[in-house]
Amino acid sequence: MAVAQSTRRRAIILLVLTSIILVTLDLQNSSATSGLRNIFGAIFRPVESTTRVITRPISNAWYGIFNYNDVLDENDRLREKVAQQQGATVAAAASVRLAQELLALNGLPTLAGINAVTAQVIGESPTNFSQTIEINQGSESGIRVGMPVLNAAGLVGKVTKVYGDRSVVMLITDPDFALSIKVVNSPRQTTTTTIAKSNAAVPSPVVPVEPDATQDSEISTTTTTTTTTTIAGFTPSVTTLPATPAGVSSITVPLASDLAIRETGVIEGRGPSRQPTVRFISNAVRFGDIQVGVPIVTAGGSRSLAPPDILVGTVSRVVERLGSAGPVLEIEPVADLTNLSFLRVLLYQPITEKVTP
Amino acid sequence: MIRFLTIMSSRWTRLVLVMLVVLSLQTTLFTELRPFGVAAQLVLLFVVVSGSINGVAIGALTGLIAGLMYDFILPTPVGLTSLTLGLAGATAGLLLYFFDQPTWWMRLVTVVIVSVLGEIYYPLAQTVVGLDGWLQLRMIKVAIVVAIFNAILSPLALLICRWTLAERKLSV
Repeated sequence: MAVAQSTRRRAIILLVLTSIILVTLDLQNSSATSGLRNIFGAIFRPVESTTRVITRPISNAWYGIFNYNDVLDENDRLREKVAQQQGATVAAAASVRLAQELLALNGLPTLAGINAVTAQVIGESPTNFSQTIEINQGSESGIRVGMPVLNAAGLVGKVTKVYGDRSVVMLITDPDFALSIKVVNSPRQTTTTTIAKSNAAVPSPVVPVEPDATQDSEISTTTTTTTTTTIAGFTPSVTTLPATPAGVSSITVPLASDLAIRETGVIEGRGPSRQPTVRFISNAVRFGDIQVGVPIVTAGGSRSLAPPDILVGTVSRVVERLGSAGPVLEIEPVADLTNLSFLRVLLYQPITEKVTP
Repeated sequence: MIRFLTIMSSRWTRLVLVMLVVLSLQTTLFTELRPFGVAAQLVLLFVVVSGSINGVAIGALTGLIAGLMYDFILPTPVGLTSLTLGLAGATAGLLLYFFDQPTWWMRLVTVVIVSVLGEIYYPLAQTVVGLDGWLQLRMIKVAIVVAIFNAILSPLALLICRWTLAERKLSV
């Protein structure tokens, strides 16, 4: 009895020490722990696959009992949404193509030039204290740690662990997630009415051009109404309504202050029940008040793990802080993280991460 | 040969094999069924029940072994779950320290209390190693749901634990 107790005590001490050493090694990203995970995975995966097949009818029955009405409601909502989106899609596709052409013309990077791998979600985190999912593509498909993961809506997370045929993706709601982003703030809504005389100095931004202009022409009056519509994330459209006399056309140049202003910050996850936040936004007057609904996109850059201009979410709340500290923004992710199925892993690595041969 | 058979028939070998099945249930069925958005923790249940049946030492050993296996499939640092489940198993084992012959309801209360504690140990351990952000109010909801689930499933877990950790003499 005493021998058994002594053996148990020694076993406990040994296991505790092993655990502490493994925690230390894993926090240092040691390859030894990755090797152990791979070995255990090779033993465990067949058991898990068999259990998945056996338990599938139980989970289907569960979903049938508890989610049937929700699915019906969701179907109705989605049908309505599809109908609404069909028209907008054509216009959006044209705009995206135009934007990509413009970016390519100016030699700027676009998402279209980055290879991607399509992957399916095969598992979620079994614990309540980790926001990760598992996908069915790994290093054999060219995936590396740090690559951004998207769905059709926008950014979902980043790859944190890669195995041969699967990878673990950390979602943007995980408290360990951090990524540099840009806030695309819209300018304030303005309505300007300018009354200009054709032979007088014309104030910017309205420049009247008269085809048959003469120095001693009669004094005429041009009434120009400039309306700036505020749509989150888009450069405002400018509508110019020329008044009498007929034949006088106007070229309207939008003011620099009317263009969308970008400011960088860092998005950080806060767990599944709270929305991610953006911090380190500058308190500059030039940036103005951040409006609810403005989009958040990835910042890119040589050190960022994601290329620029991937949509992350929209601002749902602005928390002002005292002093010179900039505001903290709460973000509503555009991707529905509770219902992920097919994802796209961008095979993107920043220049600083690329291994030169 | 006899030595090999002795090892194969030991309760610890049985524990590893049973834990493979429990883990596979945890990562498949109990990850998908999330009542109130919370995943039930079968591994924690198994460890707590084994502690409440066999005492501090066996509870701690079961927790350390089961936790180490669980660690290899979790994205969190390897060893963290092992330590927290070892602590949970030892905590559950304190029941026998205070009561020699605990009644069924004492065991049930132990399972509920230690399940709550076990779900709190984990985010605490995460915070200790620098993985901040999990100590939130949501933790209370998670702990309550996990405790209720564990209370419901504890009779079944009790039978499996008894069978798994029973000491048997090898007769050749």
